[in-house]
Amino acid sequence: MAYASEQAQEKRRGFLDPRTKLMLVLLLAVFVLGGLGGSTLKPVKTVLSALPFALLLIEGKTGRFLRGMIMLGIGYGMLAAVGVLPGVLRHIALMCGGILTRFVVTVMMGEYLISSTSVSEFIAGMERMHMPQAVIIPMSVMFRLFPAIGAEWTSVRRAMRMRGIHLGGAKAGQVIEYQLVPMMTSTVRIGEELSASALSRGLAAPVRRTNVCRIGFRIQDYILLAGGVVTVVLWVMELCGVKLW
Amino acid sequence: MNGKDLINIGIYGAIYFVIMMAVAMLGMIPIFLPLLAVIVPILGGIPFMLFLTRVKKPGMIFILTMIMGVMMLLTGMGPWPLLTCALAGLGAELCMKSGNYQDAKKAVLSYGIFSMWIFGNYLPLFTDYEGYFAQRADYGQAYIDAVSRLMPLWMAPVLLIACFVCGIIGGLIGRKLLKKHFEKAGLA
Amino acid sequence: MVELEHVTFRYGSETEASLKDVSLQVNEGECILLSGPSGCGKTTILRLINGLIPHYYAGELSGSVRVNGKEVEQTELYETAMHTGMVFQNPRSQFYSTDTTGEMAFACENRGMPEHEIYARIDDTVRRLGTEKLMDRSIFQLSDGEKQKIACASVDVAGTEIILLDEPSANLDDDAAQTLREIILEWRKQGRTIIAAEHRIAYLWDLFDRALIMDSGRMIREFSREEADVLSAADLAAMGLRTNIQESPKDIVLPACTETDRTMVIRNFRFAYPGCKEAVVSIPELRIAQNEITAVTGANGAGKTSFLNCLCGLEKHCEGILEYDGKSYDNKQRQKLCYMVMQDSANQLFTESVLEEVIISLTAGTADEKTAALRILEALDLSAFTDRHPQSLSGGQKQRLAIACALASGRKILLLDEPSSGLDYRHMREMAELLKQVCETGTTVLVVTHDCELIRACAGRKITLG
Repeated sequence: MAYASEQAQEKRRGFLDPRTKLMLVLLLAVFVLGGLGGSTLKPVKTVLSALPFALLLIEGKTGRFLRGMIMLGIGYGMLAAVGVLPGVLRHIALMCGGILTRFVVTVMMGEYLISSTSVSEFIAGMERMHMPQAVIIPMSVMFRLFPAIGAEWTSVRRAMRMRGIHLGGAKAGQVIEYQLVPMMTSTVRIGEELSASALSRGLAAPVRRTNVCRIGFRIQDYILLAGGVVTVVLWVMELCGVKLW
Repeated sequence: MNGKDLINIGIYGAIYFVIMMAVAMLGMIPIFLPLLAVIVPILGGIPFMLFLTRVKKPGMIFILTMIMGVMMLLTGMGPWPLLTCALAGLGAELCMKSGNYQDAKKAVLSYGIFSMWIFGNYLPLFTDYEGYFAQRADYGQAYIDAVSRLMPLWMAPVLLIACFVCGIIGGLIGRKLLKKHFEKAGLA
Repeated sequence: MVELEHVTFRYGSETEASLKDVSLQVNEGECILLSGPSGCGKTTILRLINGLIPHYYAGELSGSVRVNGKEVEQTELYETAMHTGMVFQNPRSQFYSTDTTGEMAFACENRGMPEHEIYARIDDTVRRLGTEKLMDRSIFQLSDGEKQKIACASVDVAGTEIILLDEPSANLDDDAAQTLREIILEWRKQGRTIIAAEHRIAYLWDLFDRALIMDSGRMIREFSREEADVLSAADLAAMGLRTNIQESPKDIVLPACTETDRTMVIRNFRFAYPGCKEAVVSIPELRIAQNEITAVTGANGAGKTSFLNCLCGLEKHCEGILEYDGKSYDNKQRQKLCYMVMQDSANQLFTESVLEEVIISLTAGTADEKTAALRILEALDLSAFTDRHPQSLSGGQKQRLAIACALASGRKILLLDEPSSGLDYRHMREMAELLKQVCETGTTVLVVTHDCELIRACAGRKITLG
């Protein structure tokens, strides 16, 4: 059968709308990582923490899911070990465990956002939120460049290893210079080629852009958005001194 | 501002953000928490000074700063950085504008002012001391003790000044590398 | 369709003009080949036509450039973009989106074209160019050949009358170049105007209507179809151009290693990316001639680069050993035995001057470092650049410098990843000579390449991966 891009776009449409994903990232950043809210929000936070894992599974990112679970396991393992560890180790375990369990969850949410959202979907989401081009273009370029920067970073590190330049070998300042200068040079060159390519295809034309990505709120988005509202309401109620449980 | 300028904001914003996050991971160790006000401005000066060579029109610095604020919000640093970003971004923008976007000394000063946005990440430690540690109670008393010993109230102005001063130092280092590498490499 | 009249252009950052009084007229439906040595100005011409000069790359421009009768200098970039589309050289940096479908729709979306029309255009392109298998994929999973195919497809979807190709085949193997050829044929059939700047001219030699040869910013020769048909590879070489004969590394026969040869042996090499079951590199036993030049060939995605990384000891999870001169070397030990010149050699140059770069590579305890370094630079014909910043060198010069560092480090095995991609005839010959020279110093050289001319010019052995 002939390829039909419209149906294909519909079929590969992500489970969630990019705007819902952004809201979830924000909620996790504020309530789980930032630790906002007291005992009333405890159960809400537990649900929030489980979300990125569930979403990774739904999108079929098993590898990332397992990695996250292992990290989380280590974190809880540390917390569990607090009871049996002596002296200083105990404090360290408590601290590392506490930080790890919080960070892993938020990092997983970020990984879910980035791995399940293409730049086109991200742009589509931002356009629906009526963001101006002055925000959409820089942010989409950033998301596009993060993996490239990572690749350049690894490539420079390898080159340093091959040439036998180690942190111990030379002065720290020099090593940072050796690492940063080629990495930045490459990234800037990639970025400039990217912008030449984008501008020669009419980016930033003063017309209303269209977008072939299929996004929009569906039932799962509404449920999660409602959950977000509930979280905020509970938090405000707690601030006002209302105790629910 | 045209498309090229907006893409440039994205390119340098991405480099600055990656370098900052790589360093910020150190901040989980209490002793490094105040030191971030030193390390981030110094290293960040390298991409930022290169960015300033691309800035010829008003607004680019402000947009980049605000995007950093939004990224901080999304990575769990709370809403305070948004406020400091708005102020620092505006200040850095005006400083650069007063030199017609060409003055090298104003560029260093502008980066110093820009760097003060970092202070926003520390603000909850001082404005809402109780709340800050209540939110981190599960890190254990040792962590709380360590951080509160490192961060008495008088550290607030010290950190703000450190951001600025180290920003100036970072700006100077950035300029040095600009001359030493990027100009010769044909990038600046 | 496209008219250049007495165009002279100098890039803002340079002292010499890149184009000097160039005039060119391209008619509707014509297919033009632009060729000439590196730095001759062919990319500059393409940038003038799609408006990137002067709107993106600033500089001093005189003369007039008209596309469809419109003066490009006075036209906004996004308006010129309605008529011209360009495929760029580097497959890694021309994608704005991270998914293939979004990338193909990009140009139309920017024009505000209704979605249903874009879908129809994409479907049409997919059918004609045969990209079904590449649709709805992440660009990070594609090989370089597949990426260039998508880049062509996005130009096709945009439907511009003029198509510009800027060395699109530089990173491609023969099969991928053939695919590119078929796409150009398809565009010819549709009557689009095509201007292709290329070093590697064999794959499109019989496609063009006119060939224009440039040198140092000027048009020096023009060949009509009939005139081009009688040119031999030797005629082209005399003009500093690559061969027009299509050939695949598969066709080159070189002697295999025998028991009596001095060889180094790779045993039980196995490497898979973390989380992948299937190994990219899996070599039970392989003999490689010592002190000779061996070409490593194989299709895009056959794991050639991974093989080099493994050999160099850069892949921590690579199993297996290398036996060299009766000793066996594991991952970490190989790091001190091998030196690799990466495809993107810019990432392995760190210092502020060419001289400094060689000095830090010298083996510890070298007496009079500066003299030793200067001697190596002299031997590699880099003396003129001693004080230049490594990142300001051209691609070919960067590779030369990387080889200089390898020599300075005194390592026994030199590995190169596609050293001739994007090199013109003269530079390719120079690279071949240099490798022979390096080999004579007692170094074993392995070259990953798909360039038949390079293989013929220097390699004594060949191994095929995948």
